Amino acid sequence: MISEETLIRKSGKEGKRGKVFDRLVRSAFAGITYAIVLVALLLFGKIVKDGAPTLFTSEAPFINVSFLLDKNETLHVFDDAQGVRHKLPASKYAEFIKQNGEDSIYNHHSFSYSGGGIVGPIVGTLLLTVGSILLALFFGVSAAIYLSEYAKESPFIHAVRLAILNLAGVPSIVFGLFGFSVFVLAVPVITADPSSRSLLTIPLFFGDYVMSFQGWNSSLMAGCATLACMILPVIITASEESLKAVPQGFRDASLALGATRWQTIRRCVLPYSMPGILTSSLLAITRVAGETAPIMFTAAVAAKDDLPWEGADGPLDVLSSQVQALPYHIYTLAARIPNSEYTQQAQYGSVFVFLLLVAILSISSMVLRAKMRAKLKW
Amino acid sequence: MPKNSTPTAPSAFSRKGFSFDRIFKYFFASNAGLTIVILLLIIGFLLKEGLGFFPGYQRELQIYRITGMEYIDISRKNLTSHEQLTSVMNRAYFAEINGLADRELQRSTESSALISHIDDFTASARDQYFETIEDANPAPALIESAKQKYAALLPLAMKDLPLTPHLSAGERQQIIDAMLARPIDNEDTPELVNQLATEYATVRAKFATPLEPMRAAIDEFEALGADLSTSVSDMSSSVQVIKEELNTADIIERDRKTLIAAAESAKTPEERARLMAEAQTAISTVPDTATPLKELLSGREDGQEMHRSMHEKITDWSGKASIALTQPEAQRLYQVVEKTLPVYLNELAATPKALAAWDAEKPVKLGTAISSFLTGKNWITGGEWQDFYGILPLFVGSLMIAIVALILAVPAGIGAAIYTNQFASEREQKIIKPVIEFIQAIPSVVLGFIGIFVLGNALRELSTSPSLSWFPGFPMDERLNIFTAGCLLALMSIPTIFSLAEDAINNVPGAYSEASEALGASKLQTTFRVVVPAAFSGILAAVLLGFGRVIGETMVVLLVAGNRIKIPDFSAGIGAFFQPAHTMTGIIAQELGEVPLGSVHYRALFVVGILLFTIVLGINALAHRFTRNMKH
Amino acid sequence: MNHAIQIENLCFSYGTKQALFDVNMDIPANEVTALIGPSGCGKSTLLRCINRINDRIPAARVTSGAVKIHGIDVMRRDIDLLQLRRHVGMVFQKYNPFAKSIFENVAYSSRIAGIKDKSVLADTVEKSLRDAALWDDVKDRLHESAFGLSGGQQQRLCIARAIANQPEILLMDEPCAALDPLATLKIEELIQDLKKKFTIVIVTHNMAQASRCSDKTAFMYLGKLIEFDDTMSIFSNPKEKQTEQYISGSFG
Repeated sequence: MISEETLIRKSGKEGKRGKVFDRLVRSAFAGITYAIVLVALLLFGKIVKDGAPTLFTSEAPFINVSFLLDKNETLHVFDDAQGVRHKLPASKYAEFIKQNGEDSIYNHHSFSYSGGGIVGPIVGTLLLTVGSILLALFFGVSAAIYLSEYAKESPFIHAVRLAILNLAGVPSIVFGLFGFSVFVLAVPVITADPSSRSLLTIPLFFGDYVMSFQGWNSSLMAGCATLACMILPVIITASEESLKAVPQGFRDASLALGATRWQTIRRCVLPYSMPGILTSSLLAITRVAGETAPIMFTAAVAAKDDLPWEGADGPLDVLSSQVQALPYHIYTLAARIPNSEYTQQAQYGSVFVFLLLVAILSISSMVLRAKMRAKLKW
Repeated sequence: MPKNSTPTAPSAFSRKGFSFDRIFKYFFASNAGLTIVILLLIIGFLLKEGLGFFPGYQRELQIYRITGMEYIDISRKNLTSHEQLTSVMNRAYFAEINGLADRELQRSTESSALISHIDDFTASARDQYFETIEDANPAPALIESAKQKYAALLPLAMKDLPLTPHLSAGERQQIIDAMLARPIDNEDTPELVNQLATEYATVRAKFATPLEPMRAAIDEFEALGADLSTSVSDMSSSVQVIKEELNTADIIERDRKTLIAAAESAKTPEERARLMAEAQTAISTVPDTATPLKELLSGREDGQEMHRSMHEKITDWSGKASIALTQPEAQRLYQVVEKTLPVYLNELAATPKALAAWDAEKPVKLGTAISSFLTGKNWITGGEWQDFYGILPLFVGSLMIAIVALILAVPAGIGAAIYTNQFASEREQKIIKPVIEFIQAIPSVVLGFIGIFVLGNALRELSTSPSLSWFPGFPMDERLNIFTAGCLLALMSIPTIFSLAEDAINNVPGAYSEASEALGASKLQTTFRVVVPAAFSGILAAVLLGFGRVIGETMVVLLVAGNRIKIPDFSAGIGAFFQPAHTMTGIIAQELGEVPLGSVHYRALFVVGILLFTIVLGINALAHRFTRNMKH
Repeated sequence: MNHAIQIENLCFSYGTKQALFDVNMDIPANEVTALIGPSGCGKSTLLRCINRINDRIPAARVTSGAVKIHGIDVMRRDIDLLQLRRHVGMVFQKYNPFAKSIFENVAYSSRIAGIKDKSVLADTVEKSLRDAALWDDVKDRLHESAFGLSGGQQQRLCIARAIANQPEILLMDEPCAALDPLATLKIEELIQDLKKKFTIVIVTHNMAQASRCSDKTAFMYLGKLIEFDDTMSIFSNPKEKQTEQYISGSFG
């Protein structure tokens, strides 16, 4: 029955009770949501608080450049004859001893990995990331082009999509096992001196050279290949999305004018999907830079004296050398050395730099994505 | 002027253009096929490296049996139980005494802590002083600087002094004054501290006296195991030698086979002859296992008798021992003893039969190796005795951590998704979504780092607070445990669950909420009665994918879960979640770098990888089935 | 004549774009009133003002005028919207049963009103389904998914859902637009039954339908009410030129 009584909102207790319950439920859910946001901000804040002092200094140029550019060394802590406490990285420690002699050292303690800077891990991560992304983009965009532009429903396409879906779900440590057993131990190398554990040697026709299936050993190459395999499904999916976002009308118009498929793709589709592909690459870069498990056994090493190009004869040498990597470095600092006040600076500083890197990459990708969405309104 | 457009003959170029196009198409197709190749390679190589584990483990278990090690372990198991019981009883004993003497203990400990703190602070100065005066020609400048440094450090040491709630203010000050007055070369402990230590010792002795019977009972119990201990260690030493010999023989045999294979594919007859000669010399003598085994088994009857007598004596002992404890910790420990003693006695009773039934000839089948792996409770490697590869502790560890993570992440992620999609304003959404997405970008090793340095300590401290002492498992013994790892993994998986659930809720057609509101439902009713149920399969898929992500995570668990390879003790109830554990992912990461290539241990890690791969892929497949349902 | 709904000088805007200009209409009770007119004329907008479902759209608002149901202006600030909508039912253009069973769909409005008693719910569901001429089709599969029904059956389910609470007024926004002719016919028959119990206002694109089903017809154009009269009069003897042009198909 429609009447004033039924339709006018009750301002009494009953009306209020419903409203209070409503408010309560909404607040509970809001609470959960903002609790998550809060936790994330707190964690980030804690790292900033403890790590920023290592990276930022109070005088120009305001960044502790030596932390970023020095090689990683053992930290030596000792007192000198006057009782002054020194904290020196290994190279400066050696100098000190040369100048003042062995017996001027008192209360000596050494802390591995905690002195010097982190240029080795930074460079290593950069090389690994660039290498793997280039590989993944090359193979991944090609695959995406096939899936988006050429493919018709067929068992082959079905299998490819299934493979992509499954690859995307493989845990990172299994990629580590894969990279280790395939790229480190099994892929073919052309060499005159095959190792005894080679799986198969196929003699080639010049000189003593054989193609030996013995792997590339733990190296930058193996690491890049492993990471590329890991990130491939992400790149393919994102690229396919970007390609599909280009209106069909562009393709139809081009084909109607007599262009071949490839010409159409190259001129009318790729250029417009490139921004999307590159934006998603940024996210992929973030992921690749942060992974530890796949590179633990395929490329990473905890201690290395030289940067990859120092002492190398040629690009192949660089590619075959092991590298330090930021995530692995942090793992070493967190788990493989005993804790003390002297290791704190290196630990929090490295984590802060890493987090900063990740933050910059991921914020740029978010900003670029928003900008692109606004721009590409067809 | 319009050009005459005559139809041109199909030029060479157009034919070329067409074939270029074909080339490109096949190029792209092959790159798409690359994904299939990679997946097959993963499966193939995991199997290649992993399947060899089972025959290898079978052989190891065979050696374990024919050398008699398995036989010895029957007794060793009882020895371990006996030792553990003794240890728990001792702990109960000391808990009782320390509980009664608690005040004196605290006072003594706190006073020691006070002076240690000051000593640590001034350590560098005093070390310098003592090092200097040991020199043949001590430099006076150094001595002086040491003294100055000491004088400077002492007041600084006063700053963060530990609290001493059990000492009176006067006593505290007395100790501090004594330390301040101490010159650099004096290392004597202040009188009050010594006094408190003596007080504690006296009180301990006082409370130990009525506990004499308990002490005697414990000692008696321990002594009852002495014979067993001697017997086991005697048997072990002789057997280990045989095991070494058997392993060496296996290796030589394998090398011989390799040499023969190389000889057959040798390039020149000379090389062939050389290799064959080497192979001949490599023929090893199979060590004689029968004789030592016979000797071992000759003691079988004695062993049975020993166990019977132990059973009898311990039953007698437990009848006599009546122990009344007053302290809660001691009582708890004694309850553990009371629970495990009957179990131990049963095992002792069953042992003679087990010893009789043990047969060295019984073959070890491949199936045994497989079931030992899948259901074995021990993963023991690198030990001196015998390696066991049982996946259960790792599987249970992974599962328990995943459960903790999901219990925290599922309500949080789904709740946040519901709020963000249904209740939040656009402005709020602009803040919430990027922050949660950012969490996803945080590398797992950083989260592991946070777990070790921040969360672990924080949670442990929280658990020591007296207001929470009723909670099972509190206070936590270890700061790196299942729960801490679970919290961090929850944080990691919340973005996954959130974005997929939010997508699912978003995909619910707007028509549903419109119809619901037109029927007079409030926003809350619409959300919870119509929208969320409609998104159910998508939300379920989100939870499953979150679960898959959590099981497959490596770095966080490697750093934070505590790395203890043992099934947690479920007798503590929920407290089991606060114990350390190891995981399938963690064990691979931890051990792969240290195992010899091709060894049984190496292959075992690959089998763990196969298991992990299968589980995660299965979960993901299930999740995708639900996602397809969602897009009806 | 008992007027169920009185629309007085109603002006409505979506943001800055005005959609209804000074509409005045008295809709009689227990009769079928049809709103016809070309696309964009404001008929759906007007319909949706009656149960204030337009409130869901952020920028939409009534700028002046009143919509009175049984004398009460529903535009008042202290109106209990939830109650209003329980007394004014709505059926939409594209049938939208919930992803639940047939039973749960019809029982929904009872449940949100707080009724938990199983027998009461069962009775309500049966009555509504009978009134919607769907009971015989579904009585054996009440707990199966609503999506198993044909399009026409789903729309009748939505009608059953809308009338379960016994609202006084039933609003129908092009209810047959997504249905085939046979299903349309069934619904039109249903409407003739329903008008005995409810006041029905139906928006339709289909003039033939309006002439078949309704007692009164209102022709709207560009947000204004052009003519409102008995259906017979509108279709045989329209007073306004625009009405005549529309009915004869000159535009629309």
